Amino acid sequence: MQGLVATISAAEQIRRYTLGNGLRLVTAPAATGQVAAVNLWYGVGSRHEVPGKTGFAHLFEHLMFQGSGTVSKGEHFDAVERLGGEINASTSTDRTNYYETVPEHALDLVLWLEADRLATLREGMTQEVLDNQRDVVKNERRQRYDNVPYGTALERILRLGYPEGHPYHHPTIGSMADLDAADLSYVLAFHERHYGPDNLVLTVVSDLDPDDVRDRAERYFGGIPARPEAATAPDPTLAGPIGGPVVDSVTAAVPAPAVFLGFRVGEYGGREFDVMHLASAVLGQGQGSRLYRRLVVERGLAVDDGGSAADILPFRYTPSLFLVSAIARDGIGGDELESAILEEIERLAEGVTEEELERARAVLERDHLQSISGPSGLADTIGSCTQLFDDPALAYTWPQRWNGITPDEVAGFAKRLLTAENRLAVRFSPPAEDDSADESADGAAADS
Amino acid sequence: MLQSRPVPGAPKPYTFPRPRRVQVGGGTVVAIDVPGQLYASVRLVQRSGGAAEPLDRMGVATLTGEALEDGILGDSSLAPALERHGAEWACRVSWDSFVTGVDAPVNRITDATALFAEALRTPALRADDVVRRRDQLVERFALENSMASTLAARSIGGQLFSGRYATPLGGGPARLRALTPESVADFHTSTIASVAGTLVVVGDLAGVDLEALGRTVFGDAAPAVAQPVAAPGTGDGERPRIVVLDRPGSVQSALVLAHRAPSRAEIDLVPAESAGEVLGGMFNSRLNMELRERLGYTYGVGCRFDLRRDAGVFYISTQVEAPTTAHSISTTLAEIERLRSDGANEGELTSVKESNTVGLPVAYSTSRALASALVEIVVHDLPEDHVDRLRAGYERLTAEELHAAAERYLRPEEAVIIVAGDAGELRGSLEDLDVGPVEVRDPETLWG
Repeated sequence: MQGLVATISAAEQIRRYTLGNGLRLVTAPAATGQVAAVNLWYGVGSRHEVPGKTGFAHLFEHLMFQGSGTVSKGEHFDAVERLGGEINASTSTDRTNYYETVPEHALDLVLWLEADRLATLREGMTQEVLDNQRDVVKNERRQRYDNVPYGTALERILRLGYPEGHPYHHPTIGSMADLDAADLSYVLAFHERHYGPDNLVLTVVSDLDPDDVRDRAERYFGGIPARPEAATAPDPTLAGPIGGPVVDSVTAAVPAPAVFLGFRVGEYGGREFDVMHLASAVLGQGQGSRLYRRLVVERGLAVDDGGSAADILPFRYTPSLFLVSAIARDGIGGDELESAILEEIERLAEGVTEEELERARAVLERDHLQSISGPSGLADTIGSCTQLFDDPALAYTWPQRWNGITPDEVAGFAKRLLTAENRLAVRFSPPAEDDSADESADGAAADS
Repeated sequence: MLQSRPVPGAPKPYTFPRPRRVQVGGGTVVAIDVPGQLYASVRLVQRSGGAAEPLDRMGVATLTGEALEDGILGDSSLAPALERHGAEWACRVSWDSFVTGVDAPVNRITDATALFAEALRTPALRADDVVRRRDQLVERFALENSMASTLAARSIGGQLFSGRYATPLGGGPARLRALTPESVADFHTSTIASVAGTLVVVGDLAGVDLEALGRTVFGDAAPAVAQPVAAPGTGDGERPRIVVLDRPGSVQSALVLAHRAPSRAEIDLVPAESAGEVLGGMFNSRLNMELRERLGYTYGVGCRFDLRRDAGVFYISTQVEAPTTAHSISTTLAEIERLRSDGANEGELTSVKESNTVGLPVAYSTSRALASALVEIVVHDLPEDHVDRLRAGYERLTAEELHAAAERYLRPEEAVIIVAGDAGELRGSLEDLDVGPVEVRDPETLWG
């Protein structure tokens, strides 16, 4: 199918520079005027954490807003809020991201604020702010994981999908015990080890001349020295299937049975990942997907999720996880729901049609276009493509990866990868009438 | 090494894009051209929201919005048809409006809008499909209530109002079950199919024929007729009071403090919103600084005015660690009182003024944000330069006006404080607060 919109000319307008200290700067034009989107991707995430220190990369992200040698607690947020700007941050397995979108005249101030906390954060760090943000993060964990139904699903999925000691075995939020154990000296060492300009991709989307943006970035970041040496991450190498089927069955205070299935597939950015991404769209993205048609519309087994039953957790440095999930309707048991999902997964290996692939490509391309349709999202996507793949133009051209994938290829990869041997299952069930829940549970996403 | 902190120069003056208006048959197209924005938003605004529903058909607007997704062929056929164009159906039923449309790549806007229009004007509305959608809505309502924050937010109406607003917008399980395919067909025929409405279009419109889009969507439908506005009744019960929605075992409590506010047309919008922002709307608001950044009780706090054509609600919402529930409430009440008695300080006033004036290029940097502003203008009969007038209002805002608005619009003495949490653990400490009577409810009994 022909692409939905022309993207080549936009990609040609990207400019990239590398400062003397290793900082990679990328610029791109904004579709609306008077705005500057600044996005920083540091190459540090929860994959750098070691046992006993889980949740640290994310806790650290919170501490980046708590003041530096020059800026007081709350001042960074205040400065950007005053400008009517968007400001936030998020942490994943593979990176930590900070962003501000502001009126264009405030670009220098934002670059300075970011350079300041990169250079002087350690001078402003105190036990008091660490204690406060530890409490905030523990409440974030309660809000997203522990006090909502199915909230611990992601934690359980990762535990089954990656062996103990592997850097993707735990979720980014970390454990309560490890958060309690975080101490100030480790905070200071973490900043020193991971936060250097040589580990940073800085993206600026605006109407300004690219060389002008480069000069400003040089002014504020140019004097910050690179780290003496790059930090290493625990070995993420992993080969072969999960060794399944492995199952975690949970009885908890949930309103209905739920099924979460996972399969190891290729690393984010590889051909296997792209093929399985398309396969996930055929199977469970959109109301034209197989799982929505069969389980929601025709058989009435699953709660209407609008067509979001399948997706991939993209991991750049280790096998990704192909995920399928559904919640049972009234009167439907977890076993019946899981069997119905597995039937559809097996059918995928029997073949898909070109028409199904065309719809899947359009759905994925739509989601991609929506994600880059505003300056903030565009800057974020460029930061991702540069930090993870060293190729900012991918932000525009990514959908082209799906063009050459054939129905036979999808069926072949599905047959090889979506097997019982490569499968994990997390099952939630409400307690039986005369039983009491052994725990309460909740769901999960990126931690911000 | 580090540069000194730059002071931003003067911002460029911002003017909201002047929309182009085209009268087509019984309707009006209102469009904003954003060169380079290749993903467009199309929205049809009609006035048939939840507030106008008869009491024996509560939830019919929401159910109809869902049922339209079954398209002209039934059987959930609309979304897959749109998906092939990289387009996505949009439907948002509010108290005051019924807004439908598509987001689509601009080079597919004609095809996507045609699919949208036929689904809206001549849907199949097959009985089987409507019943399936209705039963799914009933089950999803229960599932969503298992989230403490959703449960607390949904119960606001029943505490503050009598009449239509006492029941959730979507109708709730008992009301939904009473709806039939015939009631959906009646609602659709009388208020959706036959009414032209206003079509909002935002994106790169070079090459887009707005008149043709209007003809496609409006057909021969009649112009909209203004609907009468009447003030709704007040709910029973003493105020202030605390209502605990019992959720045994909760490690967090979801808190909502809510009271009535004037309607959208009656409220003095700029000072009222400003008081809300200082209290709990911004990251640096007093409540967030106190409950999150000093005490560490929560991941975050928010507040807002929910303003409708005939009434309004002001509410504060947060989720706090369970043992801190009572102290979080007393802290919140103390902060409201402090703002009412002393007003905002100069820094807070400046922050509110600047963020709502200087920050407009950021607020309107996407098609969706521009389209949302146009939809609001249509729903509330606002002038075309509404955004610019608001900006002027913030530029003129004084400390005295903000203080007066805090006194006038923040009314804790009229509030109901809703706590979704463990009643057994919390009741004693909530009674000790001496805020008002403490009532414990089983959430299952809330919906009639």
